[in-house]
Amino acid sequence: MKERITYIVQDPDAFSPEQLVVKGDSITLKKVQAAKEQRITVGLDELPTELRKSLEQWHELHIRWSSSIPYSASPPFTSRVTPGLHVFFTPLRDQPEGDLCNLLHLALGSELQCDSMSEASTKMPILSERFSMSASSQYYSYLDSLSNLVNFIQKRVCKSKACKESAEVLLSATYVDIDYDAISHAVVLSAFTATAPATGYWDETISVTSELQSTEVGVLTYEKNPDPEDIGFGGFLTVLGQDQAPKPTRFQTPTRHYPIPSDSANYKISFARPTGLHPTLSITFPSSHLTPPDSTCKLHTYLTLPSYLFVDKYQFNDALYLASNNLKSLRSIAGAADLEAPDWVTPEWGSAALFELAVPKSGDIEESSVEWNATIPLHLRYLPAADHSHTTVPAPWPVVFWACRAEEGTKMAVNPFDRLHLGYEALFGPRTRFMHISPIRSGGETDGLVEWIDVPVLDLKKSQWVEIGTIGTVIVAFIGLCWAMFGNAGGRKTNGGNAKEKKKQ
Amino acid sequence: MALSSFFSSTRAVLSSAILLRVAFLLYGLAQDAFSPVKYTDIDYFVFTDAARSIARGQSPYARDTYRYTPLLAWLLYPTTWSGTWFSFGKVLFAVGDIVAGWMMYRILRTHQGLSQERALKYASIWLLNPMVATISTRGSSEGLLGVFVTALLWAALSRRIVLTGFFLGFAVHFKIYPFIYAASIVWWLDDKSNSSSSSSPISRTIKFLNAQRIGVALSSLLTFMGLNVVMYIAYGWPFLEHSYFYHLVRIDHRHNFSPYNTLLYMNSSPKASGVDHVSFLELERLAFIPQILLSAVIIPLVIAKKDLSSTMLAQTWAFVTFNKVCTSQYFLWYIMFLPYYLPDSVMMRSPRTGASLLVLWILGQAAWLQQGFQLEFNGESTFIPGLWISSILFFGINCTILGFVLRDIRTRGQSPLFGKRKR
Repeated sequence: MKERITYIVQDPDAFSPEQLVVKGDSITLKKVQAAKEQRITVGLDELPTELRKSLEQWHELHIRWSSSIPYSASPPFTSRVTPGLHVFFTPLRDQPEGDLCNLLHLALGSELQCDSMSEASTKMPILSERFSMSASSQYYSYLDSLSNLVNFIQKRVCKSKACKESAEVLLSATYVDIDYDAISHAVVLSAFTATAPATGYWDETISVTSELQSTEVGVLTYEKNPDPEDIGFGGFLTVLGQDQAPKPTRFQTPTRHYPIPSDSANYKISFARPTGLHPTLSITFPSSHLTPPDSTCKLHTYLTLPSYLFVDKYQFNDALYLASNNLKSLRSIAGAADLEAPDWVTPEWGSAALFELAVPKSGDIEESSVEWNATIPLHLRYLPAADHSHTTVPAPWPVVFWACRAEEGTKMAVNPFDRLHLGYEALFGPRTRFMHISPIRSGGETDGLVEWIDVPVLDLKKSQWVEIGTIGTVIVAFIGLCWAMFGNAGGRKTNGGNAKEKKKQ
Repeated sequence: MALSSFFSSTRAVLSSAILLRVAFLLYGLAQDAFSPVKYTDIDYFVFTDAARSIARGQSPYARDTYRYTPLLAWLLYPTTWSGTWFSFGKVLFAVGDIVAGWMMYRILRTHQGLSQERALKYASIWLLNPMVATISTRGSSEGLLGVFVTALLWAALSRRIVLTGFFLGFAVHFKIYPFIYAASIVWWLDDKSNSSSSSSPISRTIKFLNAQRIGVALSSLLTFMGLNVVMYIAYGWPFLEHSYFYHLVRIDHRHNFSPYNTLLYMNSSPKASGVDHVSFLELERLAFIPQILLSAVIIPLVIAKKDLSSTMLAQTWAFVTFNKVCTSQYFLWYIMFLPYYLPDSVMMRSPRTGASLLVLWILGQAAWLQQGFQLEFNGESTFIPGLWISSILFFGINCTILGFVLRDIRTRGQSPLFGKRKR
C-alpha cells in the first residue's frame, strides 16, 4: 500500500516553507491554503478476498464520482466530469461478466438503478480507433454522496482505526476516482478536495502508519511560464520516514488537461421553464470569454443523460436547426436511443452525447458583451405513474471544454497527475488537449451543479375512476352502437319519419 | 353563380387541387430552407433515411422507427439522387392525392349516379381539403394509402375481382388495418342473379361461396403473402418485426386520442411500492374485442349489402375510434370515405345535425389538444382528469357520429335480404 498526497497551494505569495514542519516520521502543515489530492495504491492481495474476487472478474474498472458542489479547479487537477457516479469498464475476454451491479449496490448504494450490468451499461463509441486506452462499457447514475462507500470501506476493507478515519476524507471530497486493471493488479483510489473543509486551510499532521509502505507528500505551486505544451510546478516533496526536511523541487510535464488561460471563463446551465415534456437545456457563457485559446480549439459539451432524458439524434441533421441552437454538430451519441419507450422499459442507464458548440464570430464579440447561449433540445420519457402529480428528477450539468490539437499526445501519460477514463477523451484523437471551462452557479441558488426537473406523471391518487370509467364507457358505447344497428329504428336518435316507420312495423 | 360554374368543371376543380398542392409544396420548400422549424413531416425523414439505407444496399430497418413495408422506401428511392429529388416523395404523395380524388369523383359519377357538379362538390371534400393537401405535401404516406384504398373500392364496385383482391392484399401489406374491408367486400359480393329460395344451410353455404368471393379471397391472399414472402426473403426477420409485430404488440404510452390511453399508461407502469392500486382484470387487454367485432364483423354483416362505400366509412370510423392508439393522421383514414356517404346522409338532409356533429367533433379534438398542450409544453400533470375526460368525450362524440351513420345507412331502404329476415 502506497500513499501520495499532493497539495496545490492556491496563492503562492501567501505560502512560505515555514508552514511545513517535518518531525521524525511525520509532516505538519500549518494553515496551508491549498487543493489536495490523496492517492492510495493498494495491491490486490491486500484487499479482502470477496472484493478481490469481484475485481478480478474485470479487465479494467474505472469509477469516477464527482460532487455536485461547484469548485474552482487548480492545475493540474483541471479535468472535470458531470456530477454523479460514472463507471467505465472492460470485461475480461472469453469470460462471463461478473456481477458488477451487485458490487455497486454493495459499495455505493442499493438505490442505484442497475439490475444486470450487461443490460444497464452501454457500449462506448470509439471514434478514434488508435486510442486504445478506452474502456468498452459505460454506466452512470446520479449519486449525491459517497457515504455508502465510506461505510463499505470502513466495514469491509479497513483493518485499522487509522484506515477508518482516513476513509472519512471521501465525504468532503470534490471528486473521487477508483481504478483497477488486471495488468497492474492494483487498485488506485484518488480523492481530490478543492478547498479544505470548514476553515479553508489545511492544519494537519500526516504520519506513517504501519499499513503503508511509503507516503510521499508534495506541496506544490503552479508556475505559469514553461513550454506552451507543458505545465510546471515548484515546491517541496517529502518522503515520510526518509526525508528530514521538505526537499525543494521543480518540474514540468506535458498534460492532457491544460489550464485555460483566462480563469474568468465560465458557463451556466439552465432549463427554459416550464420544462414540460421537452426540456431545452441552455448553456450560457459570457460571450467575451469565448475566444478559442488556440486556432485549433473547438468548443464541446459532453452530456451524460440519465435514461429519462434523451436527445433525438435525427433533429440534429439540419444545418439551420443546429445554427438556431448555436450548435455545430452532434459529434457522437451512445446509449439508450429509443425515441418512444417509456423509462420503465429502458434497461440502459441512459445515453451520452458529444456536441460541438458554435462560438460567436470575432466581430460579434466586440459589439455585444452580452451572453452567448447554446441550446440543446431534450425530451423526457414517461415516468411510472405515482401517488403524486410530478416526479422530480436530477439533470446533472454537462461538462464544457475546448478540445485542441496537441503536438505531443503520447507523452501525456508521463504526467504523474494524468487523469483518464472520463468518457469523452475516447471520442477524440490521442493528440488532443482539453481545456475545461468552469461551471458556476448563478447567484442565490443553493443547489449544486444539477438541475431538478419536475416531470408530470399520472397521479394514482386521482385514478380510482379511470379503469371503471374507461371500460364502462367502451361497453356502453359498444352496446349503443349495436342498438343503432340491431335495435328498433326508432331508438334514441330518432327523427319523426323513422318513428312513423316503426309504428307501421 | 360563380361557385356552381366552378364545380361544374372537372378541369377547374382538378387544376385547383393541383395548384393547392403545388403552392403547399413550394411554401414547404421555402419554410424548410429558411426556418429551423421544418414544414416537412418527421416521418418523411424516416422514409427518406430508409430509402438511403436501401440505396446503400442496407435494410430500410437500419433506420430507427422505420415501421413500414420496404416497398415504401423503394418507392422513394429517387429521393436519394440529389438535392431537388429529395422532394420526389412529397410530389408522389400529392399526385396520389389527386389520383385518389379523381377516382372518388369517378366512383360518385358511375356508381352513385351523382351529377357532375354534385360529384365534384363531394370529391372536393378530399381534393380541395387543405388538411389532406398539407398532410401529403408534408410527406406523410397516408395520402398514398388513399390511392390504394380508393382503388380498392373502385375495383370492388366495378366487380373487377382479381384487381379487388390485389388492392386488398396490397393495402393490408402496406398498412394492416384495411383487412377490415375484406369482410365488407366479401359479404357485399352477392350473386346478382339472385333467385333466393334455397334454404338448407348447406346450399346457403355453397351459394355464399360464389366465384367472386373465392376469387377475391384467393387473389388478396396471394398478393398479401406474395409480398410478405418477397420482403421476408429480402429483409428477413426485421421486416416482420417492424412492419407487423411492432404494431400488434405496441403500447403507445405517449398521450393520444385513444380512450384507452390513460388506462394503458396506468396499468403498464410499474407500481411504486406503497401505492395500493388494484387493477381488477386488466380489461384493456381485451380492447381489440369490441374494435374487431364492430369494424370487421357486425358492421359489415349488417350494412355492407346496402352500401359498400358507406359501410367502409363506418368500419374505418369504428376501427379508429376503438383503437388503442389514435393520432390525428388516422382521421384521414375515414375522411377518404366521406364523399360517398355524405350525399344521401342525414347530415345533408338536416344541415343542422351535420353542422352540430362537425362542431362537436372539432371541439372534442380542441379540448384534448388543449390538455395535451398543457402537459407537453407547460408540464402540468393533466393525465387525470383533463386528458382522460377529453379522450373519453372525444370517444363519445365519435361514437355518436358513428351511431348516426350506422342508423342512417341501415334505414336507407331495405335490402331484399334484410327485408326478408325482418318479416
